[in-house]
Amino acid sequence: MLKIKNLRCCYGNIAVVHTVSLSVRQGELISIIGANGAGKSTLLAAVCGLLKNWSGEIEFKGRPLNGMSAPAIVRQGISMVPEGRQIFSPLSVMDNLKMGAYTRFKKDGKSRVAEDLDMVLQMFPILKERAGQLAGTLSGGEQQMLAIGRALMARPTLLVLDEPSMGLAPKIVEMIFSTIQDLSHSGVTILLVEQNARAALKIADRGYVLETGKMVLQGSADELLVDDDVKRAYLGKDYGDFLDERNQ
Amino acid sequence: MSEQINMTADMDDNDKAQRQLERLQATVNRACKNVPFHRNRIQETGLSDITGLEDIEKLPFMDRTHLATHYPYGLFAVPLKDIVRIHTAPGSGTSPSISGYTKTDLMIWEKMVAGAYAEANVTDRDIILVHLPPGLANWARDYKDGGEAIGAGVIPNAPLSVAKTLMVLRDYKVTTLVSTPAFARHLTAHMFDRECHPNELNLKQIILVGEPDDGHTVTELRESLHVDVWLNYGLSEIPGPAIAYECRYHHGLHMNDDHILPEIIDPSTGRPVPTGEKGELVLTTLSARAFPLIRFRTGDMAKFFPQACPCGATSTRIEWLAEQADNYMLISGIRVSQAQVKENLKNALKMPGIRCTMEKECRAGTDMLLISLIMDDHLFSDEIKHLQQLITYAEETLTEQNGIKVKIRLIQQRV
Repeated sequence: MLKIKNLRCCYGNIAVVHTVSLSVRQGELISIIGANGAGKSTLLAAVCGLLKNWSGEIEFKGRPLNGMSAPAIVRQGISMVPEGRQIFSPLSVMDNLKMGAYTRFKKDGKSRVAEDLDMVLQMFPILKERAGQLAGTLSGGEQQMLAIGRALMARPTLLVLDEPSMGLAPKIVEMIFSTIQDLSHSGVTILLVEQNARAALKIADRGYVLETGKMVLQGSADELLVDDDVKRAYLGKDYGDFLDERNQ
Repeated sequence: MSEQINMTADMDDNDKAQRQLERLQATVNRACKNVPFHRNRIQETGLSDITGLEDIEKLPFMDRTHLATHYPYGLFAVPLKDIVRIHTAPGSGTSPSISGYTKTDLMIWEKMVAGAYAEANVTDRDIILVHLPPGLANWARDYKDGGEAIGAGVIPNAPLSVAKTLMVLRDYKVTTLVSTPAFARHLTAHMFDRECHPNELNLKQIILVGEPDDGHTVTELRESLHVDVWLNYGLSEIPGPAIAYECRYHHGLHMNDDHILPEIIDPSTGRPVPTGEKGELVLTTLSARAFPLIRFRTGDMAKFFPQACPCGATSTRIEWLAEQADNYMLISGIRVSQAQVKENLKNALKMPGIRCTMEKECRAGTDMLLISLIMDDHLFSDEIKHLQQLITYAEETLTEQNGIKVKIRLIQQRV
């Protein structure tokens, strides 16, 4: 469904993602993990049309995304849950959800959007309870649910999540990951970027490990879960002496 | 959650190439970061990044001399504390060959071997007997692990006589035998000598490892034992068995090419040969964590099949040829360097120079190295006992050094 080949992303003259390739097949839940500054969010920004300075190939359902604007990419079926939620705080929960369907009103009509709104509110009953409340007054977990609900309102075929666990209490993180897993089981294809490697890999089919802008590992989630390199990538630690404590 | 055994087997060519590129890029990045040997050599090529599978041709080859030069840990790509298994084999030089495995590596090998079993129709209802020579002890462990992974009952490798092996086959109701062609032939001959009929056995399949088919062993085993016979290809030193395996059509061996990227090159020029032509098999690991191999020259001759397999899998198929690309001999899966053997023999006999020829011979189900040594004035002794002792010492030394049985025959110098 999504195929990235030799992606190179730059901020000015500085390259932060170096010749990275990855792919997501229909129905898969893929996790990209890595330490802070590894280039995970930059990669997602390029996929979602939020970063212009990139080269390489990004192909979604066989169509190249080069040069496409962010709204055009949403219309193609990619919807993003951004890092830090970025909900519209002064708007109500209901208005936030409707904003998620912004690109669909003309194409799909109000009735189909209303059906999806019902589906999202059934999935997150707390959002129904808080429908009229200002989004900025929700708790962190509720805001994350709202951000996911808003993304789902665009009826994506690929849902992209950037650090959904950031700043949330462990119990809430568990709930959010369980929701992501349910979404995956319902057939939504998911690309998840996370620092919480263990939690992300537990629900993933496959994973990729980014280190300082380069892909250093990939494999099935069960393979990566037992991999010591993954722990190091997650912690952002580098290799120490080769002959380490085992030989001391 | 879990991945199927050979992920790329059902992918179209584009998807497979994409997955292989992703893995190749990660392998090269990791190798350059963690192994100075790879970093220095790849930097010398001036290649900044791998952007396509064809870029692999720009990377330098590895061969067995590099394994010896960087003995023991110089080619490991992870810290020692991540290593959970260290395999060692006799090696073809003066030092043993070594490879390391992380937990993830072992999981992957287990899946690969389990996949090869599954292709041979081995299931959790089967009982597997692993019978491999001491030089293939590492493979014996991997075939045990792979068998257990699919839920079969496994009888691990044990040093049993052929008579007792036959008893185990019959009495334990073994359905699958993993063995070398030499032992399978010997076992069959012994069976018929003892007037044991194949109907007395529950044997359904034999997985042959270590050597390619010599053109008649597979057919003879099928016809005499009424079993299906499957060939598996692997490397005895590194990284392991079941790198390629036969599917139900027995038309070439399918490479596990989501984990190993194969190339076939002209051994003299190093250039890739056109598809369908024979050449030396070169392997690059795509998922190995501890011990990545980049363009490793196996010394084995093979050729790619240009057409897709009727089984529908898109994995690359090879025909494994009974030839060697270099000055090595393949004896029951163990690679023997003729030059090294000659050197070791010279040292064992304490002679400045020797003249000899080498060949493979099978005695009592065991393939061995037979050295025909030309008797000259240096070697000659009028005391037969002394000469016999010297030859026995040389045989024992070479057997120990190479991990296979070595016999020396003295022949007369032609005038």
